[in-house]
Amino acid sequence: MSIASKVKEALVGLKAGRVTLDYPAQPRPAPENFRGRPIFDAQKCIGCAGCANNCPAREILVFDVCQEIRILKYLGRRCTYCGRCADVCPEKAITMSREFETATNKIGDVQQRLDLFMSTCQRCGRCFKEPSPLEQLKLKGYRVDDLENERWIFRSRAYLESEPVVDDIKIELD
Amino acid sequence: MLKNLCQKMFGRSLWVYHANSGGCNGCDIEVLNVLTPYYDVERFGIKLVGSPRHADVMLCQGPAMRSTAKALRAAYDAMPSPKLVFAIGGCACGGGIWHDSYPVLGPVEKVVPVNFYIPGCPPRPEAIIYGVAVAAGLVDKKVAPVEFKQLNLPIPRYHPSDLKGRGEMVVYEKAEKI
Amino acid sequence: MTHNMLWRIVGGLANVQAVLLVAPLCEGVLRKVTAFLQSRKGPPLCQPYIDLLKLLGKEDIESGESPSLQRFVSKLALAAALTVACLVPMGFAAPMNGAGDVILLIYLLTLCGICTLLGGLAAGSTYSLLGIGREMMTMIALEPLFAIALLVGAVHVGSFRLDAVLNGSVYAAQGIPWSGLILLVVMIMSFQAFVQRVPFDIAEAETELMEGPLSEYSGPKLALFKWAQMVRLVVHSGLFVALFVPWGSGLAFPLGWMLFWAKVLVLVLLVTVVAATHARYRIDQAIRYFAGLLAVAFGALALAAYGF
Repeated sequence: MSIASKVKEALVGLKAGRVTLDYPAQPRPAPENFRGRPIFDAQKCIGCAGCANNCPAREILVFDVCQEIRILKYLGRRCTYCGRCADVCPEKAITMSREFETATNKIGDVQQRLDLFMSTCQRCGRCFKEPSPLEQLKLKGYRVDDLENERWIFRSRAYLESEPVVDDIKIELD
Repeated sequence: MLKNLCQKMFGRSLWVYHANSGGCNGCDIEVLNVLTPYYDVERFGIKLVGSPRHADVMLCQGPAMRSTAKALRAAYDAMPSPKLVFAIGGCACGGGIWHDSYPVLGPVEKVVPVNFYIPGCPPRPEAIIYGVAVAAGLVDKKVAPVEFKQLNLPIPRYHPSDLKGRGEMVVYEKAEKI
Repeated sequence: MTHNMLWRIVGGLANVQAVLLVAPLCEGVLRKVTAFLQSRKGPPLCQPYIDLLKLLGKEDIESGESPSLQRFVSKLALAAALTVACLVPMGFAAPMNGAGDVILLIYLLTLCGICTLLGGLAAGSTYSLLGIGREMMTMIALEPLFAIALLVGAVHVGSFRLDAVLNGSVYAAQGIPWSGLILLVVMIMSFQAFVQRVPFDIAEAETELMEGPLSEYSGPKLALFKWAQMVRLVVHSGLFVALFVPWGSGLAFPLGWMLFWAKVLVLVLLVTVVAATHARYRIDQAIRYFAGLLAVAFGALALAAYGF
């Protein structure tokens, strides 16, 4: 608790000057390898739903409207920017951009929705049919998530039932 | 007149109360980073206070858990109005990676009404300052929903029934659509 | 007679206004210089004014043990601090110095401390009661120090009148004023505790460590308490300047007044530099520190009684 040490402490602080960044006034880009928000390129996407199967937070929902149209919806709420979707995508349609300025007052602003046409055969006009029935399940709407409530359905039988499988837990707040 | 002046001063001196209801503390560290000299947020007048009764803004992080839901709601009710709630991090915005785990009720908006969301895991300190600046009206927000619809379905079909004879050649007539 | 009294009342009100308006500026200087020492750009200088205005505009939630006592105490805190401001000579004689003497000043200063205790009691939560326990211990060890300084001045000058005592009277002994110099050192070493800044802000500003006695106050009541804290900073500095650094207070009106405020600003800067480089003391370390200082101060009082 000597005076000299405190004076030295004050001088050290003064010598560093003012290190504050002028952030919102001056832009400050993220470093090179920074993983920011994923951007989905709809031109390259083939609708395989590999990203949806791989997302650890289940943020990418898939819904088959009919045999030819598949909707992929990326809700950005829980995304941890891990990059597994970009790793798995066979067409490199997902890029992890360097954007981090994603603050908003409506959480629906971060979502990206792709309505994709699953290409049909040029001879017969039907979509490609997998050889085994198990694989055929995947084409016929095995993956159906709940797009209105933005909920991932984790039981395969759930799309046949109309009431939601995952219910809200009631809590008493008083 | 005095009331008008007081309301105008609200955006320039926000006192912040930090409430972590079950997160992993990653976003805690980023929020504390924002208060250090490098990203100094005190130049906007923001101060960290220890009691919800003194605060204007509640920074929530971590998902709403069964055990802390009541405490979070009590802290929100103890704040005097006008008040704002910011949900920081992926867990507070949407439940996080643990959204389907047994103690987690979901995002923080199931318990308190949220005004601003700052997604990220954890969000960079610049992202948090950006969120505060958007809330104070200093900058515009940069995200908007993106939707892509494939409008035309241009599949030409070459089917034996479309083979037409033309003179000696046999040509396919291209149908408009399937 | 009435002319004189009118002058005094007007002078008192002017003093009060000056202190009310300048106190947040001193707090702003304190925060900005703390930021400088921590190598960052701090809040703008007028930030405490903005804080007070915002607090006055917020909703008032009444909770705790006794809301009516809370309302009374918040107003009493600011009123007590401002009453002391009427008695401080700011470069000219204090406007109300015929209305009281040194004993009144000592008790008014103690009243400012008691307002914190009452505030914590009115809230009644666990953290408040812990905070006021510490504030009580600190006050017991601390208020006698200032009282002894004023008493030494009174002993030297031979009267309790404020305009005689608050005029550098601690140096008025014959020969080298030993008691005055000892008391100067003692007061400098304990000044941080009177204005409740960092090494010794165990009770009130300890809203960072535990919420402290102010934890149940919101909105306008909190604004009054914060303002009272800022006014106490200015008023204590003013009294210190009047007792120990009185030279130049006899100048004509604008110069003497501005010299007073310059000295107060230097004292606030000193408080800031000490506050920014120290860590907070525990309550038992602080009590031991003050006990040591009290022993030295009693020694100085004994010396003053013998004329040194």
